[in-house]
Amino acid sequence: MTDKLMSATGLSVSFGSRAQRIAAVRDVSLTLGAGESIGIVGESGSGKSTLARILAGLQRPDAGTVLFRGQPVYANGQAYAGDLRRQVQMVFQDPYGSLNPRMTALAAVAEACRFHDSCAAAAAQEKSLRLLASMGITPEDARKKPRALSGGQRQRVSVARALCANPSILVADEPTSAIDQSAQAQLLNLFNGLIGRGLAIVLISHDLAVIRYLAKRVYVMCEGVFVESGTTLDVFDRPQHAYTKALIASIPGRKPRQTRP
Amino acid sequence: MTAAPLVDIRDLKIGIERGRGEKLVVVDSASLRLRRGEMLGLIGESGSGKTMLCRSLIGTLRRRGAVILSGSILFGDLDLAQADERIWRDVRGRRVGYVPQSALAGPNPVMTIGAQLGEAIRRNASGDSSAVASRARELLDIVRIRRPDVVLKQYPNQLSGGMRQRVMIACAIAQSPELLVADEPTTGLDVTVQAEIMKLLRDIRTDMGMSIILVSHDLALVDAVCDQIVVMHAGACVESGAVDQVAAPLHPYTAALNRSRIELAIPGSELVTIKGQSPAVGSWQPGCRFAERCGIVQADCRVGGHPPLVGPASGHRTSCLHPELMAAMP
Repeated sequence: MTDKLMSATGLSVSFGSRAQRIAAVRDVSLTLGAGESIGIVGESGSGKSTLARILAGLQRPDAGTVLFRGQPVYANGQAYAGDLRRQVQMVFQDPYGSLNPRMTALAAVAEACRFHDSCAAAAAQEKSLRLLASMGITPEDARKKPRALSGGQRQRVSVARALCANPSILVADEPTSAIDQSAQAQLLNLFNGLIGRGLAIVLISHDLAVIRYLAKRVYVMCEGVFVESGTTLDVFDRPQHAYTKALIASIPGRKPRQTRP
Repeated sequence: MTAAPLVDIRDLKIGIERGRGEKLVVVDSASLRLRRGEMLGLIGESGSGKTMLCRSLIGTLRRRGAVILSGSILFGDLDLAQADERIWRDVRGRRVGYVPQSALAGPNPVMTIGAQLGEAIRRNASGDSSAVASRARELLDIVRIRRPDVVLKQYPNQLSGGMRQRVMIACAIAQSPELLVADEPTTGLDVTVQAEIMKLLRDIRTDMGMSIILVSHDLALVDAVCDQIVVMHAGACVESGAVDQVAAPLHPYTAALNRSRIELAIPGSELVTIKGQSPAVGSWQPGCRFAERCGIVQADCRVGGHPPLVGPASGHRTSCLHPELMAAMP
């Protein structure tokens, strides 16, 4: 599988004390091509976030391997050793908790730029403003602290911070669940544009509408294992597993609406 | 012909006290009617005043330092906008039940489910303990919790999020109120659990004849389960009507919300977004508060107070001054 950007095989991880182990992820395998978008759906506690953290290099699996361009990610002591680190970046669920409340949006992004590019402060500032502008954050808003920004704006600042590293994969863990519908649409448009420019995205969500819109392929996760996978169209139109069927039946109101009087 | 509504909120204005008599207006021009036995969906972005409006219906504004500045809340024979704490003690819980937003933080963590239900049941009536216990079991049965005798002895941390929300609903309906206010009851819960909770609310409405106000920012959800919709934007009610009526919106904000719905979009197509952000409390401009974001704004939209809802009293109403221009919306 050399053409794959990332592949994971037989991932398992469990938590808890020795007496009471809970298997969060059990024997999970997936692949991701360059510029591809995949979705992972499942309910709370199904192991989605743990899987995301393994892929992003934040959680060492008990068993299994993750390969990035054929290189093992968890080879030695450190995950994503050296320059690999910047290749996979993560955006978290909570836009209210993932930014430093005492730093302006610009400072937060510039800090990440300087870390990854080791460029001068002025250059980092300029690059950050450009990045933020491409996400619809004006220079005026960029100089505000997180509490003065809306949830959607904060989430876009988090994405800008992740993109400073010029990653080839973005792992987004429930990026839209804490923000309003219109802000969701903005963020999804942004992700769409990034995929168009060759970024691969792993989108974790329990919102099937978001997955259907953005992901080309989808993995359905239930109690730590993948119960179904395939192209998003196939899985949505012809779900095979009972759990997938229940998920799809729970989407409220898929009836179309007239949008103009 | 139409019977008097159960709830009739007229031109409500709510402010938060900022000291030295200064008040920050957070809800202005809110109007809403709910008939008996109906389920009404109240939708709007975060900060649009949905929760403040709910709090005005259960008399807990003061606890958040907020007060009603003008307008009325007719509820049966009462005007709740004028109610004092003595009246609220008869209304809260007894005639209006409330399901709070956060199911996970809702129940008291150091009380068993049985103790919390008992408190909700006993709040006003004096009941002997065996009657309270049998009522508690009955309530758990209504919210479809199996093995009630086990659950009554458990603590909230032993229950899943969906179960906890069912317990909160059981507490809210303990005294068979006429109105149930549910403030984003399924936020943070899984879609399958959300579908079950919605079915439960609909059944409570049908079986017990309760009227329900469901607060949500999910238009698809409200569309699927409610009879009536009220849309809020920046502290004002901008459109209201039956679900089918509002499906053909008469306000550009509702139209934009409709078109930014992700579940109806073609995968990968450019999604419609609403320009700018909802104006923050304290920085409202004169006239319609959607004007800055509106594609069909006219000169007269920017003068005076926020336009009120107009249209047939129990039909499709809009606050937009120029709904006739909506066909030309960009």
